[in-house]
Amino acid sequence: MAGITTHVLNSAAGKPGAGMRIDFSILVDGTYRLLKTVTTNTDGRTDQMLLRPEETQVGEYELLFYVDDYFKAQGYKSPEPPFVGKVPVRFSVFDTTQHYHVPMLATPWSCTTYRGS
Amino acid sequence: MDQHESSRRQFLSSVLVASSGALLSETSFAADESTKPAASTTQPVRSIEEGRLTFHGIDTHHGATIGTLSVELSYFEGGAFRLIKHFDTVKNGRSDGALLQGAAFKPGLYEALLYVDDYFSALKTPLPTPNFLKKVPIRFGVSTPQERYHLAVLFNPWNYSYYRGS
Repeated sequence: MAGITTHVLNSAAGKPGAGMRIDFSILVDGTYRLLKTVTTNTDGRTDQMLLRPEETQVGEYELLFYVDDYFKAQGYKSPEPPFVGKVPVRFSVFDTTQHYHVPMLATPWSCTTYRGS
Repeated sequence: MDQHESSRRQFLSSVLVASSGALLSETSFAADESTKPAASTTQPVRSIEEGRLTFHGIDTHHGATIGTLSVELSYFEGGAFRLIKHFDTVKNGRSDGALLQGAAFKPGLYEALLYVDDYFSALKTPLPTPNFLKKVPIRFGVSTPQERYHLAVLFNPWNYSYYRGS
C-alpha cells in the first residue's frame, strides 16, 4: 500500500487520540497550502487516507496536530500557553510507490513522530 | 511542586522510560554556578534570574551528537514567528549556555527550527532525496519563564521526539 496516513496516540493515557483535529497541507511555491482538515476517529486514525496512492506526489507536506485542543477537551489543565500546542510535522515524500505513515504520540509535555508502517 | 509541575514530571518519566537514559543524563552548568554571587540566603528560592532557556539536540542515529546542529530560534509576535537568534550547538548538541534568560525570556510561543537535513548531509549519512525530514520545526509554549526550560530533542533521519527536560 502506498499513500499517506496518520495515527494519533495519547501517550499520557495509553489510548488512541480520538477527536483530534489535523490540518494537512502541501508545500507549493514556498507556502504550505491546506489540502484538508480531518478529525481522528475513535481509533485515533482518519476514516480515509490523507492521500490515496494515486493522489500522492513527490514533495513536502505538513501535518498540523491540534494537541492543545485535544488535551483541553480531555480535561487536562495545561498552563497558558501549553508547552505542546499545535504541533507541525513536516515531511517529504520521495517515492510515491511507498507508504508514508506518520503517527503522532503526544502528551501535554512531549511528543514523538516517526515514519511508521 | 504545583499541579503542572507534578504532571510534567509524570510525563517526563514516561518519556525517559521509552528513551535511552544514558543519552538524556544532564550535567550541571558549572560555569553559570561559578559566576553566581556569594550565597545570599535572603533570596527567594525561585528568582527571576533563574529562568532561562537551554537546548539539547540528541542524534539517536549515531548514538551521540557528533556533528553540529544549526537551529533558528523564533518567537511568535504580531501574528508570525520572528527570528531571535540562529545558533549552532556545541558540546554534544547543547546550546552554548542559556539562549534566553531573565527579562529576555518572555512568556509565549517559541519555535526552534532544526536543520536536520544539513546535519546529516554534513556527516554523509546516506539518505533519500528529498530527505524524509528536512528543517524540523519544534514549537513550544512558555508559560512560566521564571523557571528553567530545557528543550530536549531526540532526532534522526526518520523520527524525532521533544519534551520539556530539566
